[in-house]
Amino acid sequence: MPATVLVLDDSLTVRMDLVEAFDAAGCHTIPCGTAAEAREALQSEKVDVIILDVLLPDADGVEFLREVRAMPSSAGAVVLMLSTEAQVRDRVRGMQTGADEYVGKPYVTGYVISRTQELLRARVAANATVPTVPTVPTVLIIDDSATFREALRSACEGAGYQVLVAQTGDEGLRIAASQRPAAIVVDGVLPDIDGGTVIRRLRLDAALRGTPCLLLTGSDVRGAELQALDAGADGFFRKEDDVAVVLARLAALLRVRAVGTSEDTRSLLGPKKILAVDDSLTYLNELAGLLRSEGYDVVMAHSGEEALELVAAQAVDCILLDLLMPGLGGDETCRRIKAVPLVRDVPLIMLTALEDSAAMIDALSAGADDYIQKSSDFEVLTARVRAQIRRKQFEDENRRIREELLSKEIETLAARAAAELAETRAALVDELERKNQELEAFSYSVSHDLRAPLRSIDGFSQALLEDYEGRLDDTASDYLRRVRAAAQRMGELIDDLLELSQVGRAELHRDLVNLSAVAESVAADLSGRVGDRHVKFVVQPGLEVHADSRLMRAVLENLLGNAWKFTSKVQSAVVEFGAEDRDGATVYFVRDNGSGFDMKYADKLFSPFQRLHSEAEFPGTGIGLATVHRIVDRHGGRVWASGAVGQGATVSFTISSSRTGDAA
Amino acid sequence: MSGQLILLVEDRPDDVELTLRAFGKSNVTNEIVIAWDGEEALDYLFATGSHSGRDPSLMPALVLLDLKLPKVDGLDVLRRIRDDERTRRLPVVVLTSSNEEIDVITSYDLGANSFVRKPVDFVQFIEAARQLGLYWLVLNEPPKIP
Repeated sequence: MPATVLVLDDSLTVRMDLVEAFDAAGCHTIPCGTAAEAREALQSEKVDVIILDVLLPDADGVEFLREVRAMPSSAGAVVLMLSTEAQVRDRVRGMQTGADEYVGKPYVTGYVISRTQELLRARVAANATVPTVPTVPTVLIIDDSATFREALRSACEGAGYQVLVAQTGDEGLRIAASQRPAAIVVDGVLPDIDGGTVIRRLRLDAALRGTPCLLLTGSDVRGAELQALDAGADGFFRKEDDVAVVLARLAALLRVRAVGTSEDTRSLLGPKKILAVDDSLTYLNELAGLLRSEGYDVVMAHSGEEALELVAAQAVDCILLDLLMPGLGGDETCRRIKAVPLVRDVPLIMLTALEDSAAMIDALSAGADDYIQKSSDFEVLTARVRAQIRRKQFEDENRRIREELLSKEIETLAARAAAELAETRAALVDELERKNQELEAFSYSVSHDLRAPLRSIDGFSQALLEDYEGRLDDTASDYLRRVRAAAQRMGELIDDLLELSQVGRAELHRDLVNLSAVAESVAADLSGRVGDRHVKFVVQPGLEVHADSRLMRAVLENLLGNAWKFTSKVQSAVVEFGAEDRDGATVYFVRDNGSGFDMKYADKLFSPFQRLHSEAEFPGTGIGLATVHRIVDRHGGRVWASGAVGQGATVSFTISSSRTGDAA
Repeated sequence: MSGQLILLVEDRPDDVELTLRAFGKSNVTNEIVIAWDGEEALDYLFATGSHSGRDPSLMPALVLLDLKLPKVDGLDVLRRIRDDERTRRLPVVVLTSSNEEIDVITSYDLGANSFVRKPVDFVQFIEAARQLGLYWLVLNEPPKIP
């Protein structure tokens, strides 16, 4: 779909010229002489581009631009403003109001078209729905020999290509940047920069590096192919080769390229904009005319103040600044420009009529990049401008390359770090999994195999006691009973150790657990055991917690079991289970009036195998509280004990209600 | 009931001895046939291999099955028993050392009728044997066609 271009200018000449040019570029055009006409057109049609004159018979261009930006049919359009150069203020206003480009009158038609296309392409990149400029493949031919250029042009046109031509490397690069040809044919030998350099520069430009290039070489050049490829050309041919061969190569390159997409980045090699500042209108016009004929886009300012205002609104590639101006002088303007962060890198050349080395020193010390006398040959001026712009371009290219390299390096490092991290994590997870499996296998084996011999020891000791009752004296029977007791104790140890390892490994399933009910049930189990113990259990009703019910039962079995055990020597044993609020947290406790313990050993209680009583006094394995500790830990809680010898003990614990604590 | 026999699948001679003693002590007088590994247990039940001469229509009243066994392990034996028409209703009690959760669950999933852990304390073991004999050989009513 061709782009729709609205041209609004009251000058019939301008309208006809631009309409003709845009039509030739394949666009659909709507010429309008007044804002009213344009408004009407915009009501009925969506436009992609608006070329807008600042001075309109029935409106102010900048005001109209504001209007245009508010209309749905043109809000996203590319807007180029046209104006005579006298109105610096308009340019600044236009750029600030949302114009995409501002072109001074008299304009260069080709530049208006190519700049429009460039801006449209940028729009396309940002928004895929905008129509593109029609795509008949365009071939750029860069050659200083008119004969060969024309021969190649007619051959290409005959083959259906659109052809652009340039006579020098610089011109070629400029055209390449603005027109983005599908392919470029460049002569190896050119008057300014050679073909290889042209290709190298193209390859450095992110926007153009994908463009296929063919390098033309003379028949006498040795190692031509090597040179061509070294420069980054996609192919080369000799001038005496058949044109048909060249066309075939071109077609092949374009086929390959059709697959790829064109990146859209602002080209470094685009048309250069020069800001010329001088209080003499005559000189300014002369300078602008000459620079425009060299292919530059010129913005004019008539004073230092205007120049400062302009550079704030409009990016330029080079500044030519008169040293002697009324109001803000050249050196002060220069100093201020060089103080603006985004503008300070723009090459600035000071112009002066004076033949005075002091003025030159002043200018350079104010920050100017170069200095030239107005009386100098114009050739010298343009050469300096070119040199400065090229220097800046090299800097930009270098900076871009450095930035690219740096960001690539950072990316590589980041990717490597991420990969290493992932690898380490995977290795750790693997290792953990393996250890867990080992542990599972180990405890499975312990559970099966370690108990079997104990059964034999206990079973056959019992068999001896039973079958040989008459023949064993009391000591022998006593020994056998000790053997059995030891075997059974070993069995208990194994069971407790397995439980400890299991509560550490088992998955946590949190549910609402009625702790009071669990405590009652455990108490009933204990009371139902063999023996004549009478223990009074006091259980606070209605205590609920969000926790793993199996593990909570294990906690209460251990704590109530301990309390039951350690109250065995008191007259009226009382074991209490309850909860209290402490600093907003619920603290559960199991309290007994049993033998208690010395507080100086309080921290030893929760480590495995730590016992504060002899086996004869109170039997036990010393693993129960370690199990409790591990379970509470996995629930994100805390457990501690308090008591005194002969005055009972209290074990308290908290359970974190959030699901934190144990993530595994 | 004394005509019914018990198949004890157990590889440890000590455990065989103790189990026989426990049943004896608890007055279970049924004949007890011993299979020393899983393969032999299956051979006995299906009258194959070393037991190929046996009349396969005579099935034990109860199988006491250890889990850790050489050759074919206990859970595989159980699976094969439940997969076969001839033995699918046979009462099988898993009698083993561990009470690892995974063993208990898998045994029941495969169709074990009971899961009993052999206690270290032999007095408790005798009590377990007595109750097993009483329940499975006296109280329990097996199907007419096994």
